[in-house]
Amino acid sequence: MVERCYVAASLDEALKIRKETGAHVLAGGTDLMVQFRQGTGISPVFPFPVVIISSVRELDDITAGDDGTVTIGALAVPARIAESQLVPYPVRAAAARMGAPALRNSATIGGNIGNASPKGDLPQPLIMLDARVVLTSLDGEREMLLDDFILGSKKTALRDDEIISAVRIPPVSWSYVFYRKIGTRRANAISKLSLSALMRFEDGRIADFRAASGASGPKVIRSREAENMLKGLDDAEARAELPAFLDAWNEALSPHAMPQYRRNTTRRMLEHFITSALEHPQSEIIV
Amino acid sequence: MTRIDDRIQRVDAVEKASGEARYLCDLSFDDMLYARFVRSAVARGKIVSIDVPPLPEGYYFFTADDIPPEGKNSLVMIAGDWRCFASGDVRYVGETIGILCGRSRAVLKAIEESIKITYEEQEAAITIDDALAVKGGPILEKDDIHCSLVSEKGGDVDEILSRADRVIEETVETGFQEHVHLETNAALCTIEDGKYTFYISCQCPFYVRKSVAGLLGLRPEDIRVRQTTTGGAFGGKEHFPDVLAGPLLVAEYHLKKPVKLVFDREEDMLYSVKRHPSKVVFRTGLDSDGKILASDINVYYNCGAYLSSSYVVLQRGVFHANGVYNFPATRIHGYGMATNTFPSDAFRGFGAPQTLFAIETHLNHIARELGADPVEYKKQYFLKQGDETVTQGHIVEKVVLNEMLDQVASKSDYWRKAAEYTPGCGKGIGMSFYNHGGAFTGNGEQAIIKAHLRLVKDGDSFTILCGQTEMGQGFRTILRKIVASVLETDMDKVAYDNPDTDCVPDSGPTAASRSTMIVGRLAEQAAMQMKDHLNEEHWEVETEYEHPEGHPWDQSTFKGDAYLGYGWGCCCVEVEADRLTNEIRVTGIWSSHDIGKAIDELIVHGQVNGGIIQSLGYAAMEKMENRNGHFRQSSMSDYVIPTSMDFPRQEWGLVDNPYEWGPFGAKGMGELVFNGADAAYTDAVERAMGIKINRIPVPVEDLEGLR
Amino acid sequence: MEFTLNSKTVRYEGNPLTRLVDFLREDMNLTGTKEGCGEGECGACSVLRNGKLVTSCLIPMGALAGDDIVTIEGLRETEQGKCLISAFADAGAVQCGFCIPAMVMAAQALLLADSDPDEEAVRLAISGNICRCTGYDLIVDAILLAAKRGKGLW
Repeated sequence: MVERCYVAASLDEALKIRKETGAHVLAGGTDLMVQFRQGTGISPVFPFPVVIISSVRELDDITAGDDGTVTIGALAVPARIAESQLVPYPVRAAAARMGAPALRNSATIGGNIGNASPKGDLPQPLIMLDARVVLTSLDGEREMLLDDFILGSKKTALRDDEIISAVRIPPVSWSYVFYRKIGTRRANAISKLSLSALMRFEDGRIADFRAASGASGPKVIRSREAENMLKGLDDAEARAELPAFLDAWNEALSPHAMPQYRRNTTRRMLEHFITSALEHPQSEIIV
Repeated sequence: MTRIDDRIQRVDAVEKASGEARYLCDLSFDDMLYARFVRSAVARGKIVSIDVPPLPEGYYFFTADDIPPEGKNSLVMIAGDWRCFASGDVRYVGETIGILCGRSRAVLKAIEESIKITYEEQEAAITIDDALAVKGGPILEKDDIHCSLVSEKGGDVDEILSRADRVIEETVETGFQEHVHLETNAALCTIEDGKYTFYISCQCPFYVRKSVAGLLGLRPEDIRVRQTTTGGAFGGKEHFPDVLAGPLLVAEYHLKKPVKLVFDREEDMLYSVKRHPSKVVFRTGLDSDGKILASDINVYYNCGAYLSSSYVVLQRGVFHANGVYNFPATRIHGYGMATNTFPSDAFRGFGAPQTLFAIETHLNHIARELGADPVEYKKQYFLKQGDETVTQGHIVEKVVLNEMLDQVASKSDYWRKAAEYTPGCGKGIGMSFYNHGGAFTGNGEQAIIKAHLRLVKDGDSFTILCGQTEMGQGFRTILRKIVASVLETDMDKVAYDNPDTDCVPDSGPTAASRSTMIVGRLAEQAAMQMKDHLNEEHWEVETEYEHPEGHPWDQSTFKGDAYLGYGWGCCCVEVEADRLTNEIRVTGIWSSHDIGKAIDELIVHGQVNGGIIQSLGYAAMEKMENRNGHFRQSSMSDYVIPTSMDFPRQEWGLVDNPYEWGPFGAKGMGELVFNGADAAYTDAVERAMGIKINRIPVPVEDLEGLR
Repeated sequence: MEFTLNSKTVRYEGNPLTRLVDFLREDMNLTGTKEGCGEGECGACSVLRNGKLVTSCLIPMGALAGDDIVTIEGLRETEQGKCLISAFADAGAVQCGFCIPAMVMAAQALLLADSDPDEEAVRLAISGNICRCTGYDLIVDAILLAAKRGKGLW
C-alpha cells in the first residue's frame, strides 16, 4: 500500500496536487514521520498520498499589519516564532518550550495546528488570543477562528482542497499575562497541562479577561462564559467572584487522564494569576 | 610514562566522538539477512495456532520446532528456565515465539503483521499482590514464589517486637525502571572459520556462549562471541543479549548466512528486561526513647515470568535491606515473585537500590515522627568496622561514613537548611546514606567465577587478555592505566581490545561492580609479575583470582562475609517545589563516596554524575506502568529520562580509604553511585511539600494525591 | 533533486519519503549519525541542516532540495570539529559514546549561533540530546572548553 508522494516547490503547485490527489501536507515531518514510521531501514508508509511542502519558501514569514495583526506563515518554525518580537508573549513562550532545539528547527506552526493534538503547544495560546487560521485553496482564501477550526482531538475543519497557509493574531493588549506549561520533564517534553491567561484593566475595572487550557480535554478549552463572569468587575468584585469563576472554569475542563492533577493545578494557577493581577504588580508577566 | 594519578584522555573518546567507532548497528556483511522477532501478544495463555502465510522466496520463519533434536529449548542464565522460544504456551507479553529472517526489513515487517497467532487466554498475575494472591492459578508448580531466603541477626525479632514500646509498620514500593541505553539491543550471528560466531552488543560475552550453546547441543567453546562497541548497558545487556542470541543461533543453524537483529526503540522499551519492581514491608520496634530495638523486613521483588538471574538479585536486595545501619536485631525475608510480566533482570545496583531506598525512607519517616532530624537519627546507627552484618558476617573494612556526612553537610550547608526549611515551606533538603557490596556475593568469585587474566609482552608492547567489556564505564582505559602504571610505561604501549571469547580467558562477567576490584587486581598482579621479565622479548603471565583467607561464607545458609569490600555513599539533594504545579526543581546535589581509591578521577566523576542522575530519574520521572501484561510506555517521549536541563551541576567528593585487595586500593563503584540519590530526593520533596512519599517514581500527578 | 552533503553535491532520485538517517547510514555509509529512537526524541541522529540542528530520522529526503546537510563525518574534518572532538575527549565527556557524535553536532549548532555561551545556554542547546551515561556535567564542560579554546573559530 505504498501511496504516492509529491514534492511541491510552490504553494500553487502544492494546492494543485492537493486538489487533484487529496494528498496530505507534510511540512516539518515531526508528527507525520513519527506516526507512520516503519522502523530502521524502512521508508515510512502513509495510508494516503502526501505532498512535501518544506521547500515552499513563501510560507514562512512573520509580519505585522498596520492594525497590529500579526501574520505567521504556516511553515514558520518554533525557533523563529520564539525569537520574533512581533509575536505576543504567550505564543513565544509556548514556541520556546515546544520539544527540543532540533524539533523547534523543524516543526511548523501549520503542522502543529493541523495535527490538532490536545497536547499541541501552539494552539493553546493562539486560541486564547482569538487567532484565526488562513486556509488557502485554488479557489482563494478563507479565514476562521482557530478555536472553530480545531473540532476535537486530531479533527479539524480543513477541506480536502485546502492548505493551512498562515495564522493571524489580532491586535491584543493586556495589563497582565500568564503562560505555563507543565511538561513530562523540564525540557524536551510533551505537555501534561498548560494554561494561558491575560487580564486588561481599564478605569479600575477588568476590561478583558481570557484564558485557555491545553491538555485538559479533547481540544484547547476556553470558556467564554466563565471569562465573562470577571469582565467589568472592579478588584473587590473580582475577588468576590473568583470562587464562582474557578468553579465555572473547572466545569469546562474534561481531562481524560490525571483529572485530579489537571483540575486542581489549573484551579491553583488561575487563582494565582487572578489574585496576583488584582494586586496590580509592576511586571506585566505573572509567573 | 603513565602514572595512576595522571589526568588522561579515555582511550576510546576520540573514535567515539568523531563517529568512527562501529557499533553493532553500523556493521554490514555480504549476503547479510535481517531478523525480526514474532512475539506473544498476551500475558498468559495457551498457543492454539500459529498461522504463517506462504513466505516469499528467501524468507524464513523459525520456532521452537526448529531447534535440532540434540538441543534444548533453554537459555542458561543463572537458572535455565527462560525458554528460547515459547512453545505450547506463553507466559508474558513479548515472549519470543519465532524469528523471521530475510533480506528486506520492510518485507519482514509485513510478514510479521500477517502472522496470526490465536491464544486461549488465561487470567494473568501482573503485580506482586497478584502473585501473592496467586491470581489466575499458580504460575509455578504450586504458587507464584520463584525463590525466597531469610537473613537474620541479633535476638528473636518476634519476641523483641512483642515487648517494644511501639512498632512502626510501613510499606515502601518502587516501580519498573527501563535501562534506555542509547544503543538498543543488537546482535549478529554468522559462521566464521566453520564456527558459529556472534558479534554482539553485550556486557558478558562468556555468558552469551554458555547460555545458547545448549540450543544446538554444543559446548560453550564451540561458539565464538565477539563484543562490539557497546552503547550503554547498565545491566540491560548482562543476560538479555542471550534472548537475542538464542533465536539467532537457531536461525543460523539452518541458514548459514550472516543474520543481523537490531531492536528498534519501541521493541527495546516494550520487550526487554527492566529493574524489578519492589515492595518492602517494615515492622520496626522502638523503645520508649525512640531507639530501634529490632526490624522485621519483608522484601518482595516482581521477577516476571522466569527466574533467570532473579534469585541473585533478591539476595543482594536482602543483604542490603538494613542499609548502612546496625540495629540490635534484624530479620529479613525475601521473596522473588513470579508474574506474567517480562522477566526482570539486572539493572545497575542489582537489587540493592530498592531495599536501600526503602530503609532510608522508613528511617526518615520514623525520625520525623519522633521529631528528630533524619540525618541525626540515622547516623547513630552507622555500621562500623567489625560490626555484625545481617548475614552474621562482619564489616571487614574501615567505615568512614561520618567523614562523608561531614563533607557533604558542610558543602550543602545541610544543618542550617534542614532547620530552616519547615515542612511544606516550598524548600526542602534531604540526605541519604548507602553502600554497595563489591563483586559477587560471598565466595562466588572463588567458587563460581574463578576469573583469569593474561598479560602478554611482545618487545616493548603489552597486551591484556580478559573478558571484561567496555560499555561506557571506562574499563578499557582503567585496565590499561593500571597495567601501564605498574609497568612504568605509556598506556599507548598497553593494548586491550573488545573481547573475543576465542582469544581471551574468562575473567567473569562485566557486572557486580567487580571489574576494577577483581579483574583490575588480576591485571595489577599480572603486571607486577611481568616486571620480573621485562628483559624477555616475549613473555606471558596468567593470574587467577584468589579469595582472601579468613572470610567464610556458606552459600547454602547465606551466612558469613557477604562482601569483603563495600563502596559507601552519602548524597544530599535540595529542592524547590512549585506550589501551583507540584513541579520540583532540584537546586543542589552534593555527594561523597568511598570507593577505596579512584583509578581515574575523570572517569569516576562521570560515573558519579551519571549514576546520580539515573537515580534521580528513577525517583522523579521514570514511570513504566504495566496493564494486563503490556507496558504502557513504549517510546522515549512517554518514558522520559533526564535531559541536560532537569538537574543542576553536581558537587562531588571522594574520601580516601584504600581497600586492601583492590588494585592501588580501589573498590567497586559503578553501581554504588546509583544507590542513594533517589531517597535523598524524596526526603527533600517530602520536606518541601510537607507530605509523605512511600512509592517512587513521584511525577507531578502522583504528588497531587499526597498533598 | 539536489542538495549538499558535507560540502559535496548529492543527486537523489529515490523514494522522497526515505528518512535522511537511513540514507546517510545505509546508502552513504555515514554511520557516525546514530539512530536512537526513530521519533525525534533522543537526538542521536542530529545533523545540521542549513546550519541548524535537526533530527535526521524525521526528515524525508523529498524535503531536502537545495539544503546544506553536515554530518559528523563532515564536521570532524574541519578545525571547528577537531576542536570540539578534542574538547570532548579532554573533558571526559564521552562514556558509551552512542549519543556523542550528535552531541558534537548540537554543540556546533550552538557555537555557530553563539560563540561564547554560558552554562545555561549550553544546557539548553543539548536538551534534546539524551545521554544516559554521563549526567551531562562533563559534556557541558566539554562544550564550554571548546568555546574557550576555539576563540575565533566560530
